[in-house]
Amino acid sequence: MNKNLELADRGFGYILVAPTFIIILAVILFPITFAIVSSFFDYTLINKSFNNFIGIENYINSLKNERLINSILVTFFFVILVVFFEFILGFFIALLLNSINKFKTVYYFILLLPLLINPIVVGLIWRMFLHPQLGILNFLLSLFGIGEVNWLGDPHMAFTTIIFVDIWHQVSFMIILLLAGLSAIPKEPYEAAKTDGANIIDCFLHITLPYMRPVIVITVLIRLIFAIKTYDLIYIMTKGGPGDSTDLISYYIYRSAFISLNLGEAAAMSSILLLIIIIITIPLFRYMDRLD
Amino acid sequence: MKKIVVENLSKKYQKNIEAVKKINFAIDEQDFFVLLGPSGCGKSTTLRLIGGLETASNGKIYLDNKDITNLDPKDRDLAIVFQNYALYPHMNVKKNLSFSLRLKKFSKNYINSKIDEVSKLLKIEDILERKPSELSGGQRQRVALGRALVRNPKAFLLDEPLSNLDARLRALMRTELIQIQKRLKATFIYVTHDQVEAMTMASKICIMNKGHILQIGSPDTIYNKPNCVFVANFLANPINNILKSDITVKENGIILKIFNKRINRNHLNFKLNHNQIFFSIRPEHIYLEERSDTLLIESKIEVVENLGHENILCVKFNSTNDSLYLRTDTTYKYKSGENINIYIDLKKMLYFDSKTEKILGE
Amino acid sequence: MKIVKSLLLISLISIFSFSAKAVTLNAIMENVPDTLFIQELLPDFKAKTGIDVEFEIMGYGEMHPKMIPSLTASTGSIDFMPVDFYWVGEFALAGWMIPLDDYIEKDSFDTSVYFDSMMELVGKVEGTTYMLPFYNYAMGLTYRKDLVADATHQAGFKSKYGMDLKEPTSWDEYMNQVSYFTGNGTKYGVVNQGSKADPVAMEWSNYLYANGGRFHDENWHGELTSDAAKNALADYIHNLNNHGPTGAAAFGFDEAFNVAAQGQAYSYITYNWFMPSYEDASQSGVVGKMALAPVPNNGSLNGAWGWAIPTSSPNADAAWEFIKWVESPEIVAKRALMGGAPTRSDAFNNPEVLAKYPHYGALKNILATAKNFPVFTYTPQFVEIMGTELSKAIIGEKSIDDALASMNSELEALAKKDGLYK
Repeated sequence: MNKNLELADRGFGYILVAPTFIIILAVILFPITFAIVSSFFDYTLINKSFNNFIGIENYINSLKNERLINSILVTFFFVILVVFFEFILGFFIALLLNSINKFKTVYYFILLLPLLINPIVVGLIWRMFLHPQLGILNFLLSLFGIGEVNWLGDPHMAFTTIIFVDIWHQVSFMIILLLAGLSAIPKEPYEAAKTDGANIIDCFLHITLPYMRPVIVITVLIRLIFAIKTYDLIYIMTKGGPGDSTDLISYYIYRSAFISLNLGEAAAMSSILLLIIIIITIPLFRYMDRLD
Repeated sequence: MKKIVVENLSKKYQKNIEAVKKINFAIDEQDFFVLLGPSGCGKSTTLRLIGGLETASNGKIYLDNKDITNLDPKDRDLAIVFQNYALYPHMNVKKNLSFSLRLKKFSKNYINSKIDEVSKLLKIEDILERKPSELSGGQRQRVALGRALVRNPKAFLLDEPLSNLDARLRALMRTELIQIQKRLKATFIYVTHDQVEAMTMASKICIMNKGHILQIGSPDTIYNKPNCVFVANFLANPINNILKSDITVKENGIILKIFNKRINRNHLNFKLNHNQIFFSIRPEHIYLEERSDTLLIESKIEVVENLGHENILCVKFNSTNDSLYLRTDTTYKYKSGENINIYIDLKKMLYFDSKTEKILGE
Repeated sequence: MKIVKSLLLISLISIFSFSAKAVTLNAIMENVPDTLFIQELLPDFKAKTGIDVEFEIMGYGEMHPKMIPSLTASTGSIDFMPVDFYWVGEFALAGWMIPLDDYIEKDSFDTSVYFDSMMELVGKVEGTTYMLPFYNYAMGLTYRKDLVADATHQAGFKSKYGMDLKEPTSWDEYMNQVSYFTGNGTKYGVVNQGSKADPVAMEWSNYLYANGGRFHDENWHGELTSDAAKNALADYIHNLNNHGPTGAAAFGFDEAFNVAAQGQAYSYITYNWFMPSYEDASQSGVVGKMALAPVPNNGSLNGAWGWAIPTSSPNADAAWEFIKWVESPEIVAKRALMGGAPTRSDAFNNPEVLAKYPHYGALKNILATAKNFPVFTYTPQFVEIMGTELSKAIIGEKSIDDALASMNSELEALAKKDGLYK
């Protein structure tokens, strides 16, 4: 009698989950599988057929492609720098915000605004600001006697500029999540520490950081994955240039799919990217598990 | 020399909430000084002011004759034991205990010997490697205490440390705390709302209500000679009987009109400009047989509360509608609705001005 | 209640089936003045045919990827489409366009009015007509005619270079003028659109042709390592770095146009359809001061869009009606009057148009002499590669010779892939 009830319960559970599961299957699983499968064929938008099985030829071509390698390197440095600075700056601001009471909501709202802006719009606005002759940034600098800065036309400067714009856009993501983590820390250990003789740095190292560890790991992980996928900023601001100094990998793969129309090769590159992301994030997930 | 002196201390929060209103008291060396009062009376705030976790709006605090009013908590050499222990959750017990010493860069030898000493005293030697989440409530409380002991501070501040424990543990810990305080010859300032804790542990009780101090004295004094209705009611187990009465003042005495009877108390001598008073009698001073100077009241039993070791009877009078509580042993099984004669010990009655609620006499 | 419901249902169905007869045509269009001019004229089309037309307007870069899904489906959501000359080879190979010969014959549409270069670029592919030319974006030299007419400058220029100051007809003349006017009369002698891919590739092609070079020979063997090509790239880098504004290496045509329109540059080699924008006081500070000329030495790069009907079009016949209307002499004249860049020669002979847009004289010359960019299946990809290599040469990451060598070998590789290399 009990067994039947349990089975009926389970069955009902499956029925309830089914719609979501089907959607996940259709929207996520199917496209990914299709992409991975097509990476083993000579599949182009001009000739959309699965007639030409070429095994791992697409993968080999991708890995030999020095432009792809360049792209991976540029993306690597971009992601590390961007996540690092956003984390440091975001944490610092979150700590400040956590310690004030007046006007907290006002500051919070102002800091949140950049994140709410569509990345395409962010790119366009900053392109205007950064126009070497007509943009406001160089105008303000000129008031201090600083000459025209070539924000997007010089390869090193361009790389620095997109990092800067990305930080401007995304740092509030860190602020929000880290602030949430900070506000969940109980006050008492700090009071005990104060009586025990701890100063601000001691409190930070021995209380704040240990409490924040899980939040920090998750936040950095999420931001890392999204940073690898940065596309809009490059598309609007630099088109991967000058040269290929800002050719981030998402933009590179996009071009090979839609300009070269070689979907098979683009799918192979995307699979390689997926693999890299998985390799990076598995240790982080394991670390999170250990924390519990 | 007084160990700790508090002078005209007040604390005001925003929106004009004054938690502590110009209080004054002094604590002696080796005192077990208990701040007692209901929720919101200002006792925790006072403790936190002494400890430095709050800044005083006004007034001064002296420790060993030194003005510590504006010092940071870490410079006051006082240790605090918190209500929910506030242990460092990411360190094991050993690290929790040694944290303050490590910050002050004491030698490893010194730190280890201190930890040895304290963990033996509190019997926590076996749990040194555990983390706070792996400890029971009682164990955590000991570690919190241990953390304070390790520092050898000038005085210990304890903020309701036993309120999160179950009844049995509380009783055991009470005894232990008393023993530790005596053994270490330490000065304890202890905050609680539980009058049993106050009565059993304190050398001096300081009762507070609404930010003011009502009375400071030994447990005996406070219990037997309360200076107002509030104090009399607060230190009562299970409850203090308090009733209103009209009086007539005569040349050499007072006539009380209680329980529809007129009683002469010739030794009483209050100055009053009206003729209403409160009088109180504790349950243990109501007997079931006549004794010298007692008043017989006929009453009916309303409720019988069986506590296991004694009964509490709530009786109502046949003539008025007043009720009284009294205590009896368990030899006889009382039943609700029974008639009973009770004898009130007039020597033990306390009288209070019904308007000011201050004590008039006994 | 039930009766009311079924009556409602029936009436709704009948309304929808009736409205199904009224066709709405959908198209993806580029965000340029010519599109906006047509949009203003759409009510005329509706009045004549009862057909609605909906434009989805976007930037150039987004069009190609957005159109592809419709083109590759069996029935797409696009009824007609503008086709950039880059894509002609690709679209033809993939079979995404319906041949228009039958329609043209049936309605006796006169295609002889189109400039030859236009029909070659965006009309016929290997003999079959797939498109009707829509508008041209041939590139020309826009320059400050007020500075050229100035007597002081005429004297100064003559004494420095020994030649007269006039509209440049030789490449050396132009290079001298760029040099002369930098910091003299205006801030920069030239503004370049050096941004990767499209902008720099298009602009540099003018320099290539003006220096007498070309992309490939008849058998598609690359000629980008010729001396002409090397001079062209050296000239371009020289201009951009020494006579142009900082940051030009990242300028798209909007940024570059703004510098010229603010009066900070003497010249800007760009699309001819920018001319009306120079005359628009709300955008320009040089109203009446800019003139259009062919790029010296027949260097102008041709460019154009054509109208085509996708093979997957849901309403091919109605789409043809639109194309017929929008390219009718009457509508083309109206578009030209608004400032459009026509592809039909009769528009250039219209006295009203010529009176309003004096630069049409120059434009006619340009169209007659402009040279085409290599058009084949992999044009977009080649433009990408050109863009990257040119960009690297500009910033000094690659030497001129190396950059051109890479471009050349990539061109040949793609030509081989397309079966054109002989």
